[in-house]
Amino acid sequence: MKAFGKYISKYLLSFFAFALVLLFVNILAFSLTFSGIVSKEYGSASPANMLEAVAADLAASGISEERSQELERNHIWAMLLDANGACDWSVSLPEEIPTQYTIQDVAVFSKGYLQDYPVFVRNMEDGLLVLGYPKDSFMKLTGNYFPVRAIRLFPLFVIGILAIDILLLFLVYYFSKRKISKNTEPIMASIKTLSTGKPVALSIQGELSEIANSVNQASQVLSRQNQARANWISGVSHDIRTPLSIIMGYAGRIASDAVASGNIQQEAEIIRAQSAKIKDLVQDLNLVSQLEYEMQPLHKEPVRLSKLLRSYAADLLNAGIPEKCSLEMEISKDAETAVIECDARLISRAINNLVQNSIDHNPQGCAIRLCLACSDTATFLTVADNGVGLSAEKLQELEEKPHYMESTDERLDLRHGLGLLLVMQIVKAHGGTMEIESAPQHGYKTVLTFQIAIM
Amino acid sequence: MDNSFLHSKKLLLVDDEPELLKMVTAILADEGFQRLVTAANMKEGIAAAETEKPDLAILDVMLPDGDGFSLMEQIRTWTDIPVIFLTARDEAADKLSGLGLGADDYIAKPFLPQEFLLRVYAVLRRCYKEDAPILKLDSCTVDFSRAEVDKNGQILPLTAMEHKLLETLARNEGRIVTVDILCEALWGDNPFGYENSLNAHVRRVREKIEADPSKPVSLLTVKGLGYKLLARK
Repeated sequence: MKAFGKYISKYLLSFFAFALVLLFVNILAFSLTFSGIVSKEYGSASPANMLEAVAADLAASGISEERSQELERNHIWAMLLDANGACDWSVSLPEEIPTQYTIQDVAVFSKGYLQDYPVFVRNMEDGLLVLGYPKDSFMKLTGNYFPVRAIRLFPLFVIGILAIDILLLFLVYYFSKRKISKNTEPIMASIKTLSTGKPVALSIQGELSEIANSVNQASQVLSRQNQARANWISGVSHDIRTPLSIIMGYAGRIASDAVASGNIQQEAEIIRAQSAKIKDLVQDLNLVSQLEYEMQPLHKEPVRLSKLLRSYAADLLNAGIPEKCSLEMEISKDAETAVIECDARLISRAINNLVQNSIDHNPQGCAIRLCLACSDTATFLTVADNGVGLSAEKLQELEEKPHYMESTDERLDLRHGLGLLLVMQIVKAHGGTMEIESAPQHGYKTVLTFQIAIM
Repeated sequence: MDNSFLHSKKLLLVDDEPELLKMVTAILADEGFQRLVTAANMKEGIAAAETEKPDLAILDVMLPDGDGFSLMEQIRTWTDIPVIFLTARDEAADKLSGLGLGADDYIAKPFLPQEFLLRVYAVLRRCYKEDAPILKLDSCTVDFSRAEVDKNGQILPLTAMEHKLLETLARNEGRIVTVDILCEALWGDNPFGYENSLNAHVRRVREKIEADPSKPVSLLTVKGLGYKLLARK
């Protein structure tokens, strides 16, 4: 109903202007059509003028030669009846017209026709002047009476009809418009969705179905392209894994080979460590693309975050972290029982990326702290270090930089790493938020906020 | 924990990449495994599983003539040997854990040799128990089959809970085991709120296995995470 009101206020004025223009055009057309005939019929040869002229000209001997010629020119005949109904004189009287009339005859023809001639009468001192016009030149209304009430109602009736007409027209206009907008709205919404890169499926009947089909086709093309891109990345990452396994395997073997010299062992260790970096990159790339194109089904289940965090930390420490780094856990008492709906593997991955960032950016070593706290509705997972940190400009840059998937800039340094991008996407996929705090030499801190599942 | 008793087990490796097979066999041979059988595809894999009767199968998920899952299903029709999958896909992990196909573990490629060996040992240990599992600690030995601790000739019996606790830690010797996993092992699913009881059991185990229970050297606390058991060097 709100839309209706808005619609009326928007279109009513223009509609009424249009209706007025229509009315004006109608009146103009009417007057242009009929003004010629009307002015001709109301000229000197009109019954009223002719009666006047003839009456003025009338003398005992009849009318002047000039006047009778004028009558003949217009094919009008004339006669004067005396009080007894006898014809005193006449001009061009047709043969079939009688010369003697009873009072009944006069009463009948004076209202209408005499032998099909439309006749007009005028009361004179010495009788009744009768003018006969050619057949079929005038139509006379023989039943010319109307109830006075009807006449009084007439203007009201005209205005009423006009108002009803305008209202009906407006309703037709409104409903047809509304039907169009009802069909165009989902199309608009779909195009908007499509512009964010998400697939749509429209079903519309009628004239606009063609547009809907085009939108659906565009959506299909888009999702096919996304699917192809995701498949391509997943294929590449798949194909890299086996050769990388072999490189890592042999590098690891050489690094722990007692027979190899210390130098060779060190170099093999570097190969192993760098291969591990490629491994992480490949995994991140694949996951990012899967999440970006929504190809990765999330296996969400209720997870106790404290347990997940401990399990992650134990795995990390069991696998070993650089000697100069330390890992500390801090789980508040109320956060111990906090449960969120999440994909445990992805959340672990996000925490790992943040921890690895702290390790990678602080080669001089740092103390890493994992904290879990909670409020009534949300849990706060913090990964913090006491390392070199970031300047305010760098931090702003980090938050504003477009990521791999969105950047069309060729300069690689304008995009940030996959690791953080993946964290952002995982957090987004879980409806959470991410906040970064950092200051030079005062460490780097990331807080991930998730809603607590209502159990 | 001493894993050498597992080196006599026969391992079947199926992967279509010969270089990977060569590398994995080299790693396993270095470690002391001597009975290794390899196959490059599903057909060879089935034949090898039938004739060689391996104790553990390590299967690639993608094979030229089929996939590892159906290979496992076929092998499982006549034997229930443990199976570990090697997978080059992230999704496979979901499929394995989600569908519960009955695999014992999966290892995502690329993997580090150490990680690979740990997983293989873990599965083998779970499936093939040592005849007389004896754990040697700094100041005592633990006999799991008799549930006894031998501390300098003094025999101390272990309660069922203490036995389970020590066994869980021993299976992950040298590695941190979180309180969550320990509670689960002792009290089953959803064991939240048992941390204090766990502390009590740990204290009692320390009294039996440590020379000085207030300064533990075998059963260590990892603050905020859990515990770690160290065997005698």
